[in-house]
Amino acid sequence: MTVRVLLADDHTLVRGGVRRILDAEDDLRVVAEAADGAEAVELCCSARPDLAVLDVSMPRMTGLQAAREISRRVPEVRTLMLSMHDNEQYFFAALKAGASGYVLKSAADDDLVEACRAAMRGEPFLYAGVTSTLVGDFLERMRRGDDVPRPLLTPREEEVIKLIAEGRTSRQIAAELVISHKTVERHRANILTKLGMRDRTEMTRYAIRSGLVEP
Amino acid sequence: MARMSMPLFWRVSLINGAVFLVGTLVLALSPATVSARPLLSELVVLLCGLTAIVLVNGALLRTVLRPLDRLTAVTEKIDLRHPGLRLDEEGSGPARPLVRGFNAMLERLEVERSTSTTRALQAQEAERQRIAQELHDEVGQSLTAVLLGLRHAMDAAPEAVRSQLDELRGTTRTSLEEVRRISQRLRPGDLTDLGLVSALAGLARATSARNGPRVRRSLPSAVPGLSSETELVIYRVAQEALTNVMRHAGAATVDLGLSVSDGGLLLRVVDDGVGIPRGAMGAGIQGMLERARMIGGELDVRPRQDGGPGAGTEVLLRLPLPAPGQGEASP
Repeated sequence: MTVRVLLADDHTLVRGGVRRILDAEDDLRVVAEAADGAEAVELCCSARPDLAVLDVSMPRMTGLQAAREISRRVPEVRTLMLSMHDNEQYFFAALKAGASGYVLKSAADDDLVEACRAAMRGEPFLYAGVTSTLVGDFLERMRRGDDVPRPLLTPREEEVIKLIAEGRTSRQIAAELVISHKTVERHRANILTKLGMRDRTEMTRYAIRSGLVEP
Repeated sequence: MARMSMPLFWRVSLINGAVFLVGTLVLALSPATVSARPLLSELVVLLCGLTAIVLVNGALLRTVLRPLDRLTAVTEKIDLRHPGLRLDEEGSGPARPLVRGFNAMLERLEVERSTSTTRALQAQEAERQRIAQELHDEVGQSLTAVLLGLRHAMDAAPEAVRSQLDELRGTTRTSLEEVRRISQRLRPGDLTDLGLVSALAGLARATSARNGPRVRRSLPSAVPGLSSETELVIYRVAQEALTNVMRHAGAATVDLGLSVSDGGLLLRVVDDGVGIPRGAMGAGIQGMLERARMIGGELDVRPRQDGGPGAGTEVLLRLPLPAPGQGEASP
């Protein structure tokens, strides 16, 4: 099944680049393009794509506002934010606006396709920076003896979680532990499940409770 | 000033004239005489008379000229960075118009300085915003397009070229991250997009992440309608205070707090580092003071007061807030 994608970015060059990357995949097809947030919302209502990839900062209506509007008016359309900001505050703002994931532009070449697929599976996509923030915060709270559920991690998972907290990417971790990229991704997914952060609502709740973001 | 020098001149002349007149009258009307070759006793009387004249003249002139000396002392102490110093107009006696003029001049200078500081800071922020915007929108987006293009080209390229393209991709990514970092430093995009509280939380996280001290936050969930100018000042003061902590304090922990009460808004940045020398006034602190003054706030940089661990420094920004619902309360 092909996923029909709407692309919204006010920069034609970026839109073109993203389009080429997505169209190169068999399971993804760009069916509409918008140059601002308001146009993206209109097109989502009329063209009914499966997924909308939105730039965070756009004229007329920002990507965050557009995501909120889309999840209110056409909740069956999933949204994915594309952003310049490596800042967990934006990430959580995106989740609160109903987005399924958040992709950094500086990592879009590697992450975007994977993020689209994760969004369609109904999983949140976490970029490397925000995973290390979440995991680092969790470890810090555990050290302080705060009331956090103690996860039962395997020794391998403990190695992985340490490297994630240090901000390494999956690729670097794979090289370090001499395992495949796919295995690292699986460990990462398992760890997040065990920490109770697999699902988007859970993650937002955790972040608010631990003070990573303000409600 | 010219208008005031005449009365003062006449006053001095009149005092001198009066003293001389009294001296002359004493000489003319008293039976005292001076011989062609003055006797010793006559000289003693003359000397006494002269001394009396000089003393009386001095005492009278002193009341007129003393306020001028006070004025000179104050002018040496004037520092427009610490406004509010004024001369006492009452008790200035004959120099009162001069003192009044001087005070008015100080007032004008301080107003002028504060408006020009405000203008300069606003111009600086506007320019920063423009550069940040262009970096973010133009350079950042072009680099993003290059990054995506390289990725696409890699898939089609022969093996020999692929590793070179991959290297270029790495360089482009680093440049893009650098551009984003500079742009964020110049103009905090999250402040406009997500609001003050989120921006401060992000600032705290970024400080800890850059191998800085651990930043403990205590922020309200929201602050009542502040103007974007005020939000920016609060953010910049917090930013500068945290930068100072990272550069100079050698602290392990910093508390970043924002609270709203009846008295107004209070931003507090306290560290447990080496503390601050008395009267330290770097460009950074100066900048914070000027920004605070611009929005009618009050800034205090002082040794830590709460008796926590270590010496430590405390930066406080107090801002009066209009009481909520004040508008409706008035009939």
